[in-house]
Amino acid sequence: MMLKEKEILQSLLKLIVIVFAATVLGEIFTELGFPETNIVVMYLLAVLLVARFTSGYQYGILSAIVSLICYNYFFTEPYHTLAVNDPGYLITFSIMLITSILTSALTTKEKLLTKEANERGMESRILYMLSSKLSDAADMEAVLKIAAESISHLLQGNAGCIYVGKQSEPVYIQQVGEEQIHRNVRDLEKLRGRFTNPRTEYLEDQENYYYSVNGREHLLAVVTIDKKVNAEQLREKKRLLHSIIENLSMAMERIEVTIERVRDRENMERERERANLLRAISHDLRTPLSGIMGTSEMLMDMTEKEDKRQALLMGIYQDADWLKSLVENILSLTRLQDGKIVIHKEMEAIEEVIGCAVAHVERSFPEREIQVETPEEFRLVPMDAKLIEQVITNLLDNAVKHTKPKETITVSASYTEDTLLVSVRDEGEGIAEADVSNLFKIFYTSKTRSADVKRGIGLGLTICETVVKAHGGTISGRNRTDRRGAEFLFTLPLTEGEDENV
Amino acid sequence: MFKETILVIEDDVQIQNFMVYTLENAGFSVEGVVNGKDGISYLVRKNADLVLLDLGLPDMDGMEVLHKIREWSEVPIIIVSARDQDKEKAAALDDGADDYLTKPFSATELMARIRVALRYYYRMNHVSSEEKPDDTVYVNGSLKLDNGAHIAYKDDKEIHLTPLEYQLLLFFMQNPGKVLTYHTILRKIWGEGYGEDTQVLRSLMASTRRKIERNPAKPEYIETEIGIGYRMREHEAVK
Repeated sequence: MMLKEKEILQSLLKLIVIVFAATVLGEIFTELGFPETNIVVMYLLAVLLVARFTSGYQYGILSAIVSLICYNYFFTEPYHTLAVNDPGYLITFSIMLITSILTSALTTKEKLLTKEANERGMESRILYMLSSKLSDAADMEAVLKIAAESISHLLQGNAGCIYVGKQSEPVYIQQVGEEQIHRNVRDLEKLRGRFTNPRTEYLEDQENYYYSVNGREHLLAVVTIDKKVNAEQLREKKRLLHSIIENLSMAMERIEVTIERVRDRENMERERERANLLRAISHDLRTPLSGIMGTSEMLMDMTEKEDKRQALLMGIYQDADWLKSLVENILSLTRLQDGKIVIHKEMEAIEEVIGCAVAHVERSFPEREIQVETPEEFRLVPMDAKLIEQVITNLLDNAVKHTKPKETITVSASYTEDTLLVSVRDEGEGIAEADVSNLFKIFYTSKTRSADVKRGIGLGLTICETVVKAHGGTISGRNRTDRRGAEFLFTLPLTEGEDENV
Repeated sequence: MFKETILVIEDDVQIQNFMVYTLENAGFSVEGVVNGKDGISYLVRKNADLVLLDLGLPDMDGMEVLHKIREWSEVPIIIVSARDQDKEKAAALDDGADDYLTKPFSATELMARIRVALRYYYRMNHVSSEEKPDDTVYVNGSLKLDNGAHIAYKDDKEIHLTPLEYQLLLFFMQNPGKVLTYHTILRKIWGEGYGEDTQVLRSLMASTRRKIERNPAKPEYIETEIGIGYRMREHEAVK
């Protein structure tokens, strides 16, 4: 406010001095006997000068009026009054007034235009520098540094920029004088919340003004400006500030995309390497396992039924068999998760697939009998039969492991309007309370795999879920409500949907 | 005593040892080689009564070996393959292989396949009953099919089959123990040029099973070989 008053006083002073000078010159001209027109021209010059050396239309117009009054008072008859004898003067007054107002307006406008052009020139120079700097920035921190520097420079105060996006930890860089410092971000979530809920672009508190830098989808960063900056300047530079923020947003998005792309590629690479390694190992295990199984079987054939060695050989055979199924599961899983192999869906009869899985399990566990219930209605359902057979086999294996030989295991299939529902129920100990909620976590996270092998849940369920999801179906496990035992259900869509990705 | 010779073409020593041992134990004369070239040259020089052929050989593709052998020999060939080679298995069967085994297999499975394959081989060689009208009565467990009268029985009760179902069952009764690929069945029942649409076959199989099996999802007679075809299991005749 102080500034403004000073400016007004200065302008008024200029006005008074110039008009006074014109009047004095006019008096001199009169003394020397020059024609009156010179005085009028003199005043026009005064108005022009006032308009030139003050800012705003008002002083120009004011000087025009003051000049007119002075002219009237000092140089028209009767002198030293505002009265006018000759009506011809009225025309002189009007023309003088119009001319001086127009002159003042033109001059002022001229001046404003020049100022604006200068400002624009400076703005575009600043923005050009900014964008060329930003395009050189290789990482988020570089962008933040450029932001802090350029905004501080623009407003001649301390500004900073906090990255709050999703691609890395928050980073806060602030300009303090010529230095740039890393600051800790406190209450990041609160800050983010204040900008996003409800969505806003500007905030302030006791210390700072805050402006948001928004990406297409989320809040990228927050620009902080110390409240000590000149408020007037901030208002004047607002447009430029917004342009800078827009530039920042673009640069940050570019860097986020780059980070994401690099990270995706790294992840994919790592996943692929891991899967390849697992695959290679599994593949190589397969052949010797066949050998072990065959040899132990051969030895069993050569051993008398009563011999104690029979049981030991059986142990070897069964362990090898278990390892073999683990290897097959790993192979299926890596094949699926790799994403390279698209599941090969064909129209299949679920009764055939269940039949195969049941036959397979009954071969491995000859003492067990599995109940099968399939609908009378015959339908073909799109699926990769080999993989679905493995799902059912895994669920049955699981059931066998968690039940005593006398307890019934039932696999059944039924159709609803648009899905095939397959369930495997047993009468065993059921799923432990702690596992019921974990079951699905295990499905999701492969990290707990080593732990669940110990618990006996195994890799099998992970595969089941991967396969069923790849088919666009759902899978769930729970304890039976009608009696003791566990129940696993999965569904498959009856019609070919859009291709689901694994 | 006459010993049938079996040629084992398998590059994995452990599995070859296992096969050789099992077969020798069962009274066969066995020759083991570790690559396709040696296998073919052995057949050319000495011949064999049956070949066990691994699809994954170091020197040449198992399919190629199969094709080469089939150029001049009708010797029964049983394919040995890994689990994820369904497409190759089906192709090998359609190209003249007699049966297949998936690793790891048991000695029992191995012997069962060999017995079936040898039986067909001898029947083909010794009985030239080809285009003669076939009025044999086929029996398998509690299934009976009187081809002369065109009637099928289960537990001595007549079962009513449609003409296509009858054709299908007959084809299986004629080939017990043998894997029949979709391709083979389609050609046999619907004739050459029908195409490879297996859906109609699945549906026919489902309705046939509903007539001959107690539980079609737990078949005792016609078992499913996923991705390949079907196989009729052999049962003792019920007295």
